[in-house]
Amino acid sequence: MRPPIPYLLCVAMLTSVAASSRALDELERALRRTPPVTTGFVEYRFSHLLKNPLQVSGTLEYRADGVLARRVEVPYRESTEVSGEQLRIERENRPARTLSLARAPQLRVMLGSFRALLEGNFAPLSRDFEVTLAEDDTHWTLTLVPRDARLLKALARIQVSGSEDRPDCIAALESDGDAAFTLLESQPVSAALPARAVLEHRCHLGAGAPRAAPPAP
Amino acid sequence: MTRRGAWLLAAWCVLLAIGVTWIQSRLHVSADLRLFMPTPRGEQQRLLVQNIGESPASRLLLVAIDGDQPAVLAGISKQLASTLAARPEFGLVANGAQAPIAIPDALLPYRYLLTDSFDLHSLDASTLETALADRAADMASPASTLLEAWLPRDPTLEVLHLVDRWQPGTEPRRVDDAWFTGDGRRALLLVETRAAAFDPDGQTTALEALRAEFARARGASPARLTISGSGYFSSVIKQRTQAEASWFGGIATAGMILLLWFAYRHVGFTLLGALPLASGALAGLAMVSWLFQSVHGITLAFGFTLIGVAQDYPMHLFSHLRRGESAEVTARRVWPPLATGVASTCVAYLAFLISGVIGLAQLACLTACGLVVAGLTTRYLLPRVTPAATRDPADSRLLERIDRRVSRLPRPLALLLVIPVAAALVFWLRPEGFWQNDLSKLTPVPPTLLREDLALRRELATPDLRYLLVASGIDEQDVLARLESLDDSLAQAVNRGAIGSYDHAARYLPSDARQRARQAKLPDPAQLERLVHEAAAASPFDAQLFAPFVADIARARELPPLSRAELATTPLALRIDSALFHREGRWYGLVSLFDVHDPAAMAALGSAASPFVTFLDLKDASEQLVAAHRSHILLCLDVSALLLVMVIWIALRRVSRVLRVLAPMVLTTLIILAVLRGFGVSLNLFHLISLVLAAGLGLDYALFFEHASDDPAEQRRTLHALLVCALSTLLVFALLALSTVPVLAAIGITVSLGVVCNFLLALLLTRERAA
Repeated sequence: MRPPIPYLLCVAMLTSVAASSRALDELERALRRTPPVTTGFVEYRFSHLLKNPLQVSGTLEYRADGVLARRVEVPYRESTEVSGEQLRIERENRPARTLSLARAPQLRVMLGSFRALLEGNFAPLSRDFEVTLAEDDTHWTLTLVPRDARLLKALARIQVSGSEDRPDCIAALESDGDAAFTLLESQPVSAALPARAVLEHRCHLGAGAPRAAPPAP
Repeated sequence: MTRRGAWLLAAWCVLLAIGVTWIQSRLHVSADLRLFMPTPRGEQQRLLVQNIGESPASRLLLVAIDGDQPAVLAGISKQLASTLAARPEFGLVANGAQAPIAIPDALLPYRYLLTDSFDLHSLDASTLETALADRAADMASPASTLLEAWLPRDPTLEVLHLVDRWQPGTEPRRVDDAWFTGDGRRALLLVETRAAAFDPDGQTTALEALRAEFARARGASPARLTISGSGYFSSVIKQRTQAEASWFGGIATAGMILLLWFAYRHVGFTLLGALPLASGALAGLAMVSWLFQSVHGITLAFGFTLIGVAQDYPMHLFSHLRRGESAEVTARRVWPPLATGVASTCVAYLAFLISGVIGLAQLACLTACGLVVAGLTTRYLLPRVTPAATRDPADSRLLERIDRRVSRLPRPLALLLVIPVAAALVFWLRPEGFWQNDLSKLTPVPPTLLREDLALRRELATPDLRYLLVASGIDEQDVLARLESLDDSLAQAVNRGAIGSYDHAARYLPSDARQRARQAKLPDPAQLERLVHEAAAASPFDAQLFAPFVADIARARELPPLSRAELATTPLALRIDSALFHREGRWYGLVSLFDVHDPAAMAALGSAASPFVTFLDLKDASEQLVAAHRSHILLCLDVSALLLVMVIWIALRRVSRVLRVLAPMVLTTLIILAVLRGFGVSLNLFHLISLVLAAGLGLDYALFFEHASDDPAEQRRTLHALLVCALSTLLVFALLALSTVPVLAAIGITVSLGVVCNFLLALLLTRERAA
């Protein structure tokens, strides 16, 4: 299971977390923000299906009408919009493809959680995930571990990390070892593909949660 | 009544009872409207008649649910759809929540024979390279969640392509994955009934099931259900007609009994009066069910209306009874005009027997046979069981007063000129819309229901009910090939905006020839292996990953073409069955058109592929059919009028007598036509039948008035008889005129008008003045 990075990214975008010690319910209140919000991103994808990791970059937008838009600009142009129950993908010189979230229940869970985060209402979020917050002097890390056994089989955990009140990385770690790292705006984009270990370090993997989150049997 | 009379009466009643049981066991009533249609001429009309009530589009019920929050409505819609799909009354159920049609796992390799992706560009290195580049992009997009699993087996995403292709062209708006109207207030469903649209009983069963399941799905919600569609209409009309008919029947019977009691003051007469009609009706039914396999419901309804004339026969006998005279003598006295009436009407109906319309032939047979038997029983059986008269209508004070008043009136000969001129004037002033050509008006649906239907159809984007393309051929493969040959021009029509989209069976099941052609174009395993390596080298994927893909193509190359039998248990079968079928040794494939903007372009497309493809404009074809039908019936009517005049001529032998008898009937027909025209009513089949009935009644009235001798007492008896006849008929048809079912109202108004005019005109023009 591949986590839908745009939602998590938006969560991060809208989340302004101070480095000082905070309880989860304080974070919950701090998460409330008014769209629209736009930011740039770079995403690295590591998969056992791939010979080499993929790298794409572009912008993310959460619009006032509730639509999430993810625009890829390099190395090709692609736009993804999530509106209600529909996921619509448009690529250069290709007909648009529309997918229903109803046929992707796990994707829908993620969307639900995202909405919960936006609303500053953790109840649905903690219904679907085990939520923990870890901090050190300079960084904080929010870890989400799926409660649903089927989802957990695919997705080990999601980690949103940042420093001061700036979220800067989202890491989605899949149970089969695949992973996606999304670095936000402030991060310099290098043409050369960084090694996975570099990204893991950048995203503070192991800072808040066990490095490998073994699914509970 | 004598002892012999009592035995005879008992035997008669027993015979009727036996007749009722025999007919009940034999009679097969059909609701197939096609029995009432003329033999179709030409391909268009033939297809029309075959299609009425049986096309897939006509079997769809449109369902809307409103009256609660959208989320609740969506829940009810989903619950309803899943329970309906499990019921035997329904085929396809769609509300937007169904997963798109999926190919069963076992048939997955067939996707390379079903897909059109490689028809133009075969599966080569560049196709594969582009596909892999796209898949790589998918891997980096949120959709990867959904597509990753397919990647090794289906790198070109043919499964997804087929599913997309099989989706209906445009879909209604969705809320919570259920279809809704554009305003989001009503949840929408499409339900296909197994019963044909013209099968009101089957439709009623289906509707009851639908309502029951809705009540269960709704639970405590205040949501409401709205249903529309051809099948719903046929059920509503049948129920309404039945409800009103039984209600009116009850009142009419009560009124009749009161009227007869007031006229004859004798219980016996009231009961005996029903015997000739009952005998006639049974005899007519027996004859029809003996001659024809099934009797149309309309035949029965109209047949009994037309046989209603026979209710007058016993009244002629009873009213002419004299004190001290045996009923058999009276019967002999009233027989000449009665027999002339029966004979002329029956001869007139003979013309319908040869009309070529089964329903009309049945109607003629039922009525003619019924009238003859009713006449004969009135002449030969009824007098033997009639009790001796205790009263003579000629003694009635009331009647005497009426008689005197009427006699003082001048004979309004001027009417002979005034009525035709006035009628001609009306026809001249309002020439438009004389005939009703719209077939749908034959079983008219209240306009509010039609508006609702149109609105729902627009929201649901159901196939056009009016326009169709029909391909025909000697077998299934032949038709599938013809459908495929239309694809190019249909796609062009979609691009030009002539139609929104289209659908036909070959989109799901390509012809064997096409499947073989696709098979032949697939690369062999060694070739494919090379292609995959080449394409993978330029992609972020490893060639080894696509082993399942290579295996599937290898399987697809060896498969026998996919046949209908293998699809039998899949959702695809439903779509294919309703659009690909054989009738009378020939195979037909329907092309459903959606959102038709340019019918002329589609007609041109059809004629370009003629004669194997026909463009069907159901409305146009049905109007032509109705027009042809009517001119046929009018011809029959002309022939019957001629026959009728001949019989009267033979019976009366003098021009002046013949004219006096025919005048009221002819003038009344003119008056009715002028009145209907004046009110802008377009004439249909039901008006014509009512006109025939009114003419028959008028003929009887005139014959009896004409026959009455100079004897004032006898004249008063005739007046009594005809007053009772006219009033009883008027009672029944005036009630019918109040009906909310347009067909019944049309008959009621026409006949009521006919009775009044015929009676008055016969009284004033035909009746002899007492010496």
